[in-house]
Amino acid sequence: MSRATPTASDTASVQPVGRPGWLLTPGLVWLLVFMILPVLFMVAVSFWSSGYYGTRPDFTFKSYLRIFQSPLYVGQLLKTLRIGLEATALSLLISYPIAYIISRAKGNAKALLILLLFLPFWASYVVRAFVWLPILGRNGAINSALMSLGVIDQPLDWLLYNEGSVLLGLVYVYTLFMALPIYMSLEKIDPKLIEAATDLGARPFRVFVEVLLPLSMPGVVSGCIMVFLLTMSAYVTPQLLGGPQGIMIGNIIASQFLSSNDWAFGSALSVILVLVVMLLFLAIGRKTKVEQIFTGGG
Amino acid sequence: MAVSSTSSPPMLQRWQRLNPFELASWLYGLIFFVFLYSPLVMITVLSFNDSRLTGFPLKGFTTKWYEAVLANQPLLSALANSIYVGLASAAIATTLALLMALAFRHEFWGKRIVLYMILTPIILPGIIGGIVLLIFFGYLGVRPSLFTTVLVGHVNWVLPFAFLTLYPRLHKFDRSLEEAAMDLGARTSQVFWEIVFPIVRPSVIATAIFAFSLSFDEFIRTIFTVGSDRTIPVQFYVLIVEELSPELPAMAVIIILLTTVASLLGFAFMRRADRSNPA
Repeated sequence: MSRATPTASDTASVQPVGRPGWLLTPGLVWLLVFMILPVLFMVAVSFWSSGYYGTRPDFTFKSYLRIFQSPLYVGQLLKTLRIGLEATALSLLISYPIAYIISRAKGNAKALLILLLFLPFWASYVVRAFVWLPILGRNGAINSALMSLGVIDQPLDWLLYNEGSVLLGLVYVYTLFMALPIYMSLEKIDPKLIEAATDLGARPFRVFVEVLLPLSMPGVVSGCIMVFLLTMSAYVTPQLLGGPQGIMIGNIIASQFLSSNDWAFGSALSVILVLVVMLLFLAIGRKTKVEQIFTGGG
Repeated sequence: MAVSSTSSPPMLQRWQRLNPFELASWLYGLIFFVFLYSPLVMITVLSFNDSRLTGFPLKGFTTKWYEAVLANQPLLSALANSIYVGLASAAIATTLALLMALAFRHEFWGKRIVLYMILTPIILPGIIGGIVLLIFFGYLGVRPSLFTTVLVGHVNWVLPFAFLTLYPRLHKFDRSLEEAAMDLGARTSQVFWEIVFPIVRPSVIATAIFAFSLSFDEFIRTIFTVGSDRTIPVQFYVLIVEELSPELPAMAVIIILLTTVASLLGFAFMRRADRSNPA
């Protein structure tokens, strides 16, 4: 924008290299064939029927009726929604201060803090979920520390394999997706605004509530969407840390394909999950552009 | 940073006034990083623990789990698989994303719809991204394997990220050279290979490295499409679920090191790209 605006004749005569139609074709064909078509096919399969001989073409609402008639599946869906909301809220609470600190740091300290924030998240999330097993387990760090301190005689069993441990794991695995967009929107705030508010006599807390928080809202929104999205489809973390109590909808969906081979029912559950996610995007998308969610809240 | 000497006394005052708030959030930050790093420190300590049972008490120092990992044939072939599929999906996704990012410098009808299509794989829950391919290829009769189903799943996953990293960097570069070449009558392919590509090459390399590390870490789409092949995250997961194998901590440390190196490389290239091509 700092460049002089080109005149009309400039832009008319010299287009960027290539023709958009040709440039788009390979990528669009890939997405249509390998992404859009498979999704539509899954929607179709959700109306098929599964039996002993596999899943066959049909048009029945059987799978959907089964989901909504059984308290088990509705309950699991609601529970997943609740865990997703809890994990999102916790991540927000944990990430905001760190995003703030990094945005206020200067020079090398800032570069170092950003690197420190990124480093753990570059390791596969399977690894990052796994690390909690030797911490929370029967012979894990917490139990052995408490036992050697004489606080307890028997290892505590409730540290692992419940909703709490799943929540902890989810927050640990996905916090970067909250911290990063918040940091990016805090970074864009002109420090002069904070100076002005301070010079006018606003106390730090008021500066936070009336200047920082509203201006960093786009980052908060994208962070919340990303974390909620990721936790809603969590599979590895509840599978490793959840036990029977901490299972989420992703695990139920997966088992339809990996063990019980009920593709029609699994597809119907998947469609419901996708609908929930899409509704969320539609609700938010009225206020924020979708691409901003992935580029740090614009 | 560029504070003139006249404004430094009020600056100092402000720092003193902000102190309790700043202090509290710094303390919070310290706790945050302890929370972030202690599990990783713990797993590193356990990887040297001379015990068949992953956990405490510590029974003495050993490097035998690392030796076991490095001598483990299925693990090494999983590593090779991860590298192959990472390279292939990085190449395909970066190429497709580069072409689409070039297209996005033009105005065309349906741009928003195309953008949403590109973003679909991120918006779609990961588990669904795997399942749709399992069903689709299942009915097409394609046997699940590394270079068919897994590769497709990885390209799907990596493509939007490659596009999102390339697009802003292609959009902002100074077009005067490109325009000059066109005015002088260069062919489209000449303009691309001799002007545009050299300018964006650092961004393309950085994107390819990021794409590789995303693919290398991918698990959820892979587990549904991998069949009997193994990638590193899948092999790691199987070892947790099936036998809680004693070399898991050592393997975790090696995976962390490998992905960190790949990502740091990408990070360094991205910084170089942004520096040599300022907005």
